[in-house]
Amino acid sequence: ELALLGVTQYYAFVQEKQKVHCLNTLFRKLQINQSIIFCNSTQRVELLAKKITEIGYSCYYIHSKMAQNHRNRVFHDFRQGNCRNLVCSDLLTRGIDIQAVNVVINFDFPRNAETYLHRIGRSGRFGHLGIAINLITYDDRHTLRRIEQELRTHIEPIPKAVDPKLYVADHQLVDD
Amino acid sequence: EGAEAEKPTEAVMDKISFLFNNLSHTNMIAKKEELIGMINDLGDPFIRWLSQYIVMKRASIEQNYQPLYNQFVQAIANPQLDEYIRRETFRNIKILLRTDKRQNAGANYSDRQLLKNLGMWLGAITIARSRPILLKELDLKSLLLEAYYKGQSELLFVVPFISKILLSCSKTPIFSASCAWIRSILKILAELHNEPDLKINLKFEIEVLCKELNVDLNSLPIEGILKDTDKLLRVPQQLSDLKIL
Repeated sequence: ELALLGVTQYYAFVQEKQKVHCLNTLFRKLQINQSIIFCNSTQRVELLAKKITEIGYSCYYIHSKMAQNHRNRVFHDFRQGNCRNLVCSDLLTRGIDIQAVNVVINFDFPRNAETYLHRIGRSGRFGHLGIAINLITYDDRHTLRRIEQELRTHIEPIPKAVDPKLYVADHQLVDD
Repeated sequence: EGAEAEKPTEAVMDKISFLFNNLSHTNMIAKKEELIGMINDLGDPFIRWLSQYIVMKRASIEQNYQPLYNQFVQAIANPQLDEYIRRETFRNIKILLRTDKRQNAGANYSDRQLLKNLGMWLGAITIARSRPILLKELDLKSLLLEAYYKGQSELLFVVPFISKILLSCSKTPIFSASCAWIRSILKILAELHNEPDLKINLKFEIEVLCKELNVDLNSLPIEGILKDTDKLLRVPQQLSDLKIL
């Protein structure tokens, strides 16, 4: 059972060629513990991961064309915190339950609601906060509205400053 | 003891935020060089702000990355930065200790978590590096006695905080469980543990600490320190005053 409870969802309207620039801005303005960045194809995962590693990001990547044991290894290392950001395609089928992940970015917007829910949704765990940011191109605009309706949720335009209370309070709400 | 450090330009803050969002063991050397460059260019006001940023925005919230940030700061090896971080850590701890413990369940809860995180961080930058926590900075033993005297809400703040600090004792031979300073605190914790009405999660907290330090809880002598009411009354006050009904 996946839910969007506790996840604040935003979108930013961008052109395809501005996406990396937009990602850089997010990484300069947000306080990120760990993040997951989704792309729509395995090639785009590899390209993006390579590009942002070159400009100083700490990132790993996984996608569906990698061997299962290799994927497990990378995911395990990411969970351990050895690296801060993970670029991936759609293969996490049960929602993310890594406590430290407080930011999820849809670098490419998914085509259907189910995929969106799998990427953004959290499995249970009341009070686990996070933000999701969707990079939306002109072509994605109808899909955005459709998914919003199907999931009966709201995806707001990203404000100039995101209130840290919405996503950096994680560790203050879990355990005990 | 000033509160807010003067902010650098937005471009500098963005750069720091990017740097800490992407810091990991594999790129630490490169990030270290970058930060040392910024320190050299921007000087003392920047170091002051940076130490506040590291303590308030990173160490106290991102508990999972405390070891990484600690290692990073040690790699930078700037005595001024170390000193400011230390001061900033105590300053934040003191603010949290002085907050009212009996109000607003929600804020109370996150304050407790912040205090625990800061306790763990304090242990790592002092005890684990074989440096003492001076009485004039923070008197741990008195803090426990004061909390016991003031009641359950205070103990809920203080016991986990002290335990998290003392966890670092396993990392240094100088302040091991047999050192007089640490042992005197452990003895009070043992006596607290012996109290029939101590909350079960606090008992557990003490047991976990002893296990971590390889100390047999039952072997610690109970000296009746908590029964010495005169002494409890004379303890220096570090928590907020009790409101008398």
